[in-house]
Amino acid sequence: MIDHKPKIILFQCQWCLYSAEDQTWVDTQLPVNIHLVKVPCTGRINTLYVLNAVQGGADGVMISGCLPEQCHFKEGNLGARRQLDQFADFLDHIGYERNRVRFTWLDLQDRGRIQRDLAQFEADLTKMPKSEALATRVGGHHD
Amino acid sequence: MTDLESKLTAEIANLLDDKKVDVFIAFKKAESPLHPQPAFFTESNQLGDFVYNSLCQNNLAAFIPRYPLSARIGMVVRGCENRAVNHLVVEKQHARENIFMIGVPCEGLVDWHKLVNRFGEEMIAVDEAKDEIMISYRDRQIRAPRQELLHDSCLRCVHPNPLSADVTIGELKPEGDPTLARTEVAAFSALDNAARHAWFRKEAERCIRCYACREACPMCYCTECFVDHGVPRWTESTVSPAGMRAWHIVRAFHQAGRCVSCGACERACPMDIKMTYLTEKLNEDMRTKYQFECGMDDKTQPPFAAFNLDDKNRFEL
Ligand code: SF4
Ligand code: SF4
Ligand code: SF4
Repeated sequence: MIDHKPKIILFQCQWCLYSAEDQTWVDTQLPVNIHLVKVPCTGRINTLYVLNAVQGGADGVMISGCLPEQCHFKEGNLGARRQLDQFADFLDHIGYERNRVRFTWLDLQDRGRIQRDLAQFEADLTKMPKSEALATRVGGHHD
Repeated sequence: MTDLESKLTAEIANLLDDKKVDVFIAFKKAESPLHPQPAFFTESNQLGDFVYNSLCQNNLAAFIPRYPLSARIGMVVRGCENRAVNHLVVEKQHARENIFMIGVPCEGLVDWHKLVNRFGEEMIAVDEAKDEIMISYRDRQIRAPRQELLHDSCLRCVHPNPLSADVTIGELKPEGDPTLARTEVAAFSALDNAARHAWFRKEAERCIRCYACREACPMCYCTECFVDHGVPRWTESTVSPAGMRAWHIVRAFHQAGRCVSCGACERACPMDIKMTYLTEKLNEDMRTKYQFECGMDDKTQPPFAAFNLDDKNRFEL
């Protein structure tokens, strides 16, 4: 258990939230423990962004993008899924637990799902011990 | 000169004399018997220094991307080097028709780290028979079974034979046991998170950021590596914990679907840092998730380049 709200970095594809209310919520009402990084497409998320989030002390990383066949750039999400999924498995190999990286692939019809998925992620992360592995810049100083 | 060396010398001399290649990449004697050096022969009269043995630790394919596509390159290749050449052709780093490979079925490389750790550095010569390594000092000679000195990558090597060499010298070897690499990855994965992380830290923290592992790898041919990038600076470039860990994580990850399991990175490391436990994990995942093994031919794109809509069912909804 951790005694603070888990720090979550949300990488959000700017096209994946079809409902204006959901996008407005993300843009203006994200809880302070969730840090938003908006990207033009999940395909633009370099694994180094994820690594920097992790090394910066993120307890979890969420990646939200469009479903297959709904990518604004046709197939950015397909490449992203292969790479980022493998990267999450790879981080797990060296001790950063696999369930700290989560994807939410959103459908045209989804309403309020991003809020629900983030809340669930936060609840799951709260049950895990503090993430020590790989964090090197927690609190702004090096270990 | 061994029998294999004379045969290779004759073959290479012919290629150079007949002007079939512009350069022939192989090895030559160096001051230390432990480290024969890569050599770039352009005339057959330079071959007096030629050497080929189990201490020729480099993966020579690493030099291919340094040449223009039009250069006609000759090379002596073991199984893993042949696979590296294949994959470099897939990645358009050279034209297959401009590479002439003399293949040698591989007995496995002697790991100089293991040799030095066990026998010191004072040896004046290292010779070999099929299953034995003979280490000579000024006043005595020691024999050791080859198996005990092989590099870990060679111990678990599956494809020691060159797959698509233009000529092959020597008898083909039996294929290796593919479960060996898998078992090692599985054993590491079975440790708990804290233990895996502790191992990772213990290895990464000795790194001096010399980048010998990068220079040794045939797939590390980027003209500007992410660690050398100034704007944006992707990661700390010093030997800080964040910088060292990022280097080890990302260097290995950039080889996902591109690594031929040659172990040249690990052999090049002056700090004896283990790193194939990282690349072998990725290789194993590429095999199980995508049925892909790097370098088996010179056409098939690696998984990260070959995504398509059939991936639909891989998305967790
Ligand atoms: S991995 Fe080792 S045994 Fe296998 S071909 Fe390469 S050098 Fe030879
Ligand atoms: S990462 Fe290491 S084992 Fe893999 S191809 Fe490069 S040098 Fe060889
Ligand atoms: S060769 Fe070894 S010490 Fe040098 S950068 Fe690579 S891992 Fe670090």
